Amino acid sequence: MEGLIYFTTAWLDPYLMLLTAIGTFAGIYVGAIPGLSVTMTVSILISFTFKWDVNDALALIAGIYVGGVYGGGRTAILLNIPGAPSAIATAFDGYPLAKKGLAGEAIGLTTVMSFIGGMVGILTLAIAAPIISDFAIKFTSREYMLLGIIGVLLIGTLSGESFAKGALAGALGVMIGMIGLDPMTAKARFTYGSINLMGGVPYIVAMIGFFGVTEALVQLDNLKLPYVKQKISKIIPNWSDVKKYFKLALKSSGLGTLIGALPGTGGDIAALIAYDQAKRTTKNPEVPFGSGAKEGIIAPETANNSAIGGAFIPMLTLGIPGDAVTAIIIGALYIHGLKPGPLLLTETPHLFWFIVGNLTLANIFLLIFGLTGVRIFTKIVECPKGILIPLIIVLSSIGAYAIQNNPIHIAWALGFGIFGYILRKYGFAVGPIILGVILGPMIDSNYRRAMLGADQNIGQFFIDLITNPISCVLIIFLLIMIGSQITFVKDRVSKLFQK
Amino acid sequence: MNNSKKLRPGEKVFSFILIIFSAILFLESYRISGFKGLTTSGAMPMFASTLMFISSIFIFLKTLKKDPKTKFNLVNVIQYLLPKQLIFFSALILVYVLAIPYFGFTLCSGIFLIISILTLWNKGVLWSLTVSIFSVTLIYFLFRIVFQVILPSGSFWS
Repeated sequence: MEGLIYFTTAWLDPYLMLLTAIGTFAGIYVGAIPGLSVTMTVSILISFTFKWDVNDALALIAGIYVGGVYGGGRTAILLNIPGAPSAIATAFDGYPLAKKGLAGEAIGLTTVMSFIGGMVGILTLAIAAPIISDFAIKFTSREYMLLGIIGVLLIGTLSGESFAKGALAGALGVMIGMIGLDPMTAKARFTYGSINLMGGVPYIVAMIGFFGVTEALVQLDNLKLPYVKQKISKIIPNWSDVKKYFKLALKSSGLGTLIGALPGTGGDIAALIAYDQAKRTTKNPEVPFGSGAKEGIIAPETANNSAIGGAFIPMLTLGIPGDAVTAIIIGALYIHGLKPGPLLLTETPHLFWFIVGNLTLANIFLLIFGLTGVRIFTKIVECPKGILIPLIIVLSSIGAYAIQNNPIHIAWALGFGIFGYILRKYGFAVGPIILGVILGPMIDSNYRRAMLGADQNIGQFFIDLITNPISCVLIIFLLIMIGSQITFVKDRVSKLFQK
Repeated sequence: MNNSKKLRPGEKVFSFILIIFSAILFLESYRISGFKGLTTSGAMPMFASTLMFISSIFIFLKTLKKDPKTKFNLVNVIQYLLPKQLIFFSALILVYVLAIPYFGFTLCSGIFLIISILTLWNKGVLWSLTVSIFSVTLIYFLFRIVFQVILPSGSFWS
């Protein structure tokens, strides 16, 4: 009963409700506008909300988080530019759907499915938080390392022309992520004495460059083509479609919540794995994956929104952030004198239930704003390319600059953009590079911890990987994933089955 | 995956450059800590650059199998990779980036938008000017006022 009272705090206070609504609305645009990111916005917000009441600050931040994760998918569908890493997989089928004139339907369907995903995540957070966090705590450095490798290589298998190109792009991303001082030994890597390189390359700068600027330059090639207006004829999805894909949405939500609950693996990996799962398990999609399959937008969008609830589980129960945004929210809680961790639920249960209630409210606002503001939103896309391209460059520049107020980051973003343009011209996907930049440092630190745990003995390291049940399952998954992309292995397996 | 069977202009050379690039990255990774141990700062960069090197060899071998419709021609490569509009726009971006620290974000963005919209949109000076001023005002309001981002003001004015 006490929990219910705390749960409804934001629902009964008009001011908190307004803040949540503003946060969600702004979050949709923040997530969608290339060059703006939820992490960046929440970081900036914290700098002036630390004087606020903790509930007010959390209401605004939770709204931006929920809206932002969803908003990234909108530009992935309309512009083929994922607004956030968690929307990379959405672009694979979302943009082909938009090109077919089904942008409105795609957005409507992703809105409803994002809402379902979000609710599943929040419900899991409320009910099964202790169980899932118990499971996540069993993961050691070995498993995190494997999860990181799977994340980088997974996108390599999903995009681009070949697995080799995907693997090269992913490894290149890891190399970019290695630039700067080694966090474990403070040894400089690829800095060449430059102070600007000591702090590393912020992944948002790389993301802005490889997605925002590259896309703008690619669009230049098609400048003379008449602009294809995205037809928004129908936003509210058919009940039959919702019913048809409900099972997939539930499955992707469960997967997303579970992955979101694993520290360090947020909505980006959740969306990719859910997309991959949908691709493998959907027997007869109406159209093939990659050319506008509805399953291809439902799975990632449901998973990334359900990962929000999941990401809060280790943050609130263990004090470990589930993703970059929850890492910042932990900082906000500390600023307000709270200590996220095992004692948070017993010492400040009101806070836990307030967050659960507030996330639910933000999710309802997401459904309302998601289904009502699409036509106004798409006017941005109908903007002529001659205006849109320069605007993307200016927004990308400001986004790159705003992270650390460093003008050199603008140059980096534009440099990455030109490099990304050349790579795309030769059939390389830029998605694996970004995943590599984000997950590279995580793979590095966890690999080294795991190797130290095996006394730097390579034999022992592999024995540990095979003998541990969780690692073993992940290794098998990794091998299947790589094997399914190698023609020789594919031929042998198909011959074996034919026999 | 969309497998392009036709060889793109300069694709073979580009694939070969990737092998050289990966090899250089491996050597640079080796320079960090050498082969001193399995948990040194250079271990992961060496793994990643090795993966890049192996992948680039596979990519190169695959390009050799492709059907070359056109023989290597530098003019073709430049036309494919760097069309005139891209060269002009990239140069404009470069000037814009270099000018920001000296003349500030707002002025530079305004001028950049006017020139690029005028060139890419072809709707006349008045339209370009109106759209650019409106866009810069909106961006300034959103970032400076709402998000409180301190935009570079430019050393020239101080």
